[in-house]
Amino acid sequence: MAREFQRGHKAKISDLTAGTDLYVGVQITGPGMTFDISCFGLDDKEQLSDDRYFIFFNQPKSPEESLQLLGAQSGDTESFRVTLDRIPASIKKLSFTATIDGNGQMSQIAPGYLRVVAGGEEVARYSFSGAEFSTERAIMVADIYLKDVWRFAAVGQGFDGGLDALLRNFGGEVAEEEPAAPEQAAAPGFAPPGGVPGFAPPPGGPAPAPAPAPAPAFGAPAPAPAPAPVPQPAATPPPLPAPAFGAPPGQGGDPAIHQAPTMVAPMTAPPGQAPPGQPPFGQVPPPGAPPAAPGFGGQPPFGQVPGQAPGQFPGQPGAPGAGYGQPPVPAQGAGLAAAMQKYRETPTGQRWTQQNPKMMRADLGQGGGQPVLARQGSMVLYQGKVDFGYKGAGFTGRIVGNATGQEMQLMRCTGGGQVFFAENAAYLHPIELQGDAICVSAENVLAFDESLQHEVRRIEGHGIPGGALFTMQFQGTGTVVVKTHGTPVVLPVTPTTYADSNAIVAWSAASQVIISSQVRLRRTAYPGHSGETVNLQFRGAPGNFIVVQPYEV
Amino acid sequence: MIAGYAPAPVAARMENHGSSMLKIAMVTGQDVFARSGSMVAYEGFVQYEPNPPAVRQMASAWLTGESAPLMKCSGDGLLYLADYGADVVCLNLNNESVSVNGTNLLAFDAHLTWGVERVKGLAKFAGQGLFNVGVSGQGWVAVTSRGTPIVVDCGSGADETYVDPDALVAWSSGLKMKAKRSFRAGALIGRGSGEAFQIAFSGQGFVVVQPSEDSTDRLRIRG
Repeated sequence: MAREFQRGHKAKISDLTAGTDLYVGVQITGPGMTFDISCFGLDDKEQLSDDRYFIFFNQPKSPEESLQLLGAQSGDTESFRVTLDRIPASIKKLSFTATIDGNGQMSQIAPGYLRVVAGGEEVARYSFSGAEFSTERAIMVADIYLKDVWRFAAVGQGFDGGLDALLRNFGGEVAEEEPAAPEQAAAPGFAPPGGVPGFAPPPGGPAPAPAPAPAPAFGAPAPAPAPAPVPQPAATPPPLPAPAFGAPPGQGGDPAIHQAPTMVAPMTAPPGQAPPGQPPFGQVPPPGAPPAAPGFGGQPPFGQVPGQAPGQFPGQPGAPGAGYGQPPVPAQGAGLAAAMQKYRETPTGQRWTQQNPKMMRADLGQGGGQPVLARQGSMVLYQGKVDFGYKGAGFTGRIVGNATGQEMQLMRCTGGGQVFFAENAAYLHPIELQGDAICVSAENVLAFDESLQHEVRRIEGHGIPGGALFTMQFQGTGTVVVKTHGTPVVLPVTPTTYADSNAIVAWSAASQVIISSQVRLRRTAYPGHSGETVNLQFRGAPGNFIVVQPYEV
Repeated sequence: MIAGYAPAPVAARMENHGSSMLKIAMVTGQDVFARSGSMVAYEGFVQYEPNPPAVRQMASAWLTGESAPLMKCSGDGLLYLADYGADVVCLNLNNESVSVNGTNLLAFDAHLTWGVERVKGLAKFAGQGLFNVGVSGQGWVAVTSRGTPIVVDCGSGADETYVDPDALVAWSSGLKMKAKRSFRAGALIGRGSGEAFQIAFSGQGFVVVQPSEDSTDRLRIRG
């Protein structure tokens, strides 16, 4: 579960995630409005001293690609990839901003958010809505800034001007026509329809021309450039400050926000909040950590006095000497919450969400969405009002009745809420079908949308345990969750593709299955062996595939 | 090939070596309770006391009361524990408390306050091995999970969170829990018992669940 941030909250990135490769997604929408979402890489004076670090629709990445614009995806209006450890030392702060392109004001926006995703897991979310703003035309949404360590701050600061005013606020320039930079000529074309008049990208991305770091006006509290969208000649220093902020002075992305002591934003889980004022735990490189294991015998490992009273682990709050030296990788800050952080639930609005390689969450939707059929007993947890019913359709009976070896019973999950499926720590693979068809060995089906057409097929052959191999063919639009023991292999179907009937997991429905029996010449080589092995041979047009797991039962 | 698996320098009292091995830096005076039979290796001078009196006292409610599946480890050295390849999660409690399913408890600092808890109304689960150990204080706890666990917040919705008792690993103390039995004739969840058991959690806190419903107590055999 992501940590929810409120306006003004800050946290160390390392408390949110151990990773440095972050995905920052912004969702901001409004009726009839379009938004430009940009990232400003600012120096220690909060100036855009190098305009190659102004990441926006026209300049999608910084030179060393530590900042990249990824575009709209996963429900986000705009998204960025931020690689913290590749950001050059001159960049101290990344300011994520959203500006209205065209008409409108920020009070009209629908509820939106900025979220930080690391390692496929959302770790921070700052939600905002139009109620927090009035006539502003831009928002400084959030900052990722360097103060000893990288930190995240939810800013939520309205700004009266558009993108050009915001750019000047950060000391950048709005060039209108500058023949030197090739991009300038095309600039008007880049501006989306109905663009703010006078807006043009800053002088060319690759052009080394650094904006003349202008007067440190912005270092002072409550500076504000003129919001007037008057284009500035390229060489002109930034405009004069003008009291144009839509918010109380002293708030406009002012450095004071970041000089305040970092407070820990409230967690979704109350236990394990790191107490404020705690020394930077888990950040300090291990000064006293012994270099190797043999340091233990009687010697104080991790700087601990032998025979010290229990409970006095240095580095824990209340104990003197913060030289404990937490390893940075396990991300074990103090307390439960830090240890649990990497196992948090990943919230997304999709119907099927993979929580980790072995667990799948199905969101049934509120108010009786589409039911899900799942293998009985595969539910490990659910939230909401979900009913589990026995799925006693005819086909199930057929499976059970026909094959003693391959018993498969399904349950039907209806209602509203989230259900987590897992079984025996098997790896789960969601297969999304869009009108195509796939055959899955009945043993390997974990769950599927009821909207899919499914039918049971029986492949008979001597030597197959239980006399036949039962497969389920799925067709239609929806998702099938397949479980495998171990990492499966996907093979293209060629004229000579064979698979063990016990290890086969799935195959594309267009390929044809043939039972092939091989008589072994040396049948005495394996006592007790039938002397005959049964394989499945697959035939099909190129493009068909089979999936095989490294496990034969 | 061997080089990649050498132990990393000690950085914390309990830490993972790989995903499924626990490494404890043992120091005299700071004993550890660990599951009986979970030791896979040790280095240094570590002594084991199976079925220590303190545990016997505490765990009188434990199962049939025969021998508690805990041993006390003391001494100096490095102690490696594992539980049949299950994932290990180290928790550094900071004056917090957590309830851990007894089957999933691997080790904890002896100075922590702990006790065997039985949940009211869940006595029927005890036969399946559902008893839990409440641990609180300041120190380390190591928990096992079959597969990567998932942490779910209970407070996020108005509805309760229902967990299959076989998949339950741990939960934050303070959650209200109760047993839920689905009496619907058609309801068939769980291990084919014909009756659905779930544990319902409500309140503010989190629940840790493993992606496996295999709660068999593997180490009980070894005693």
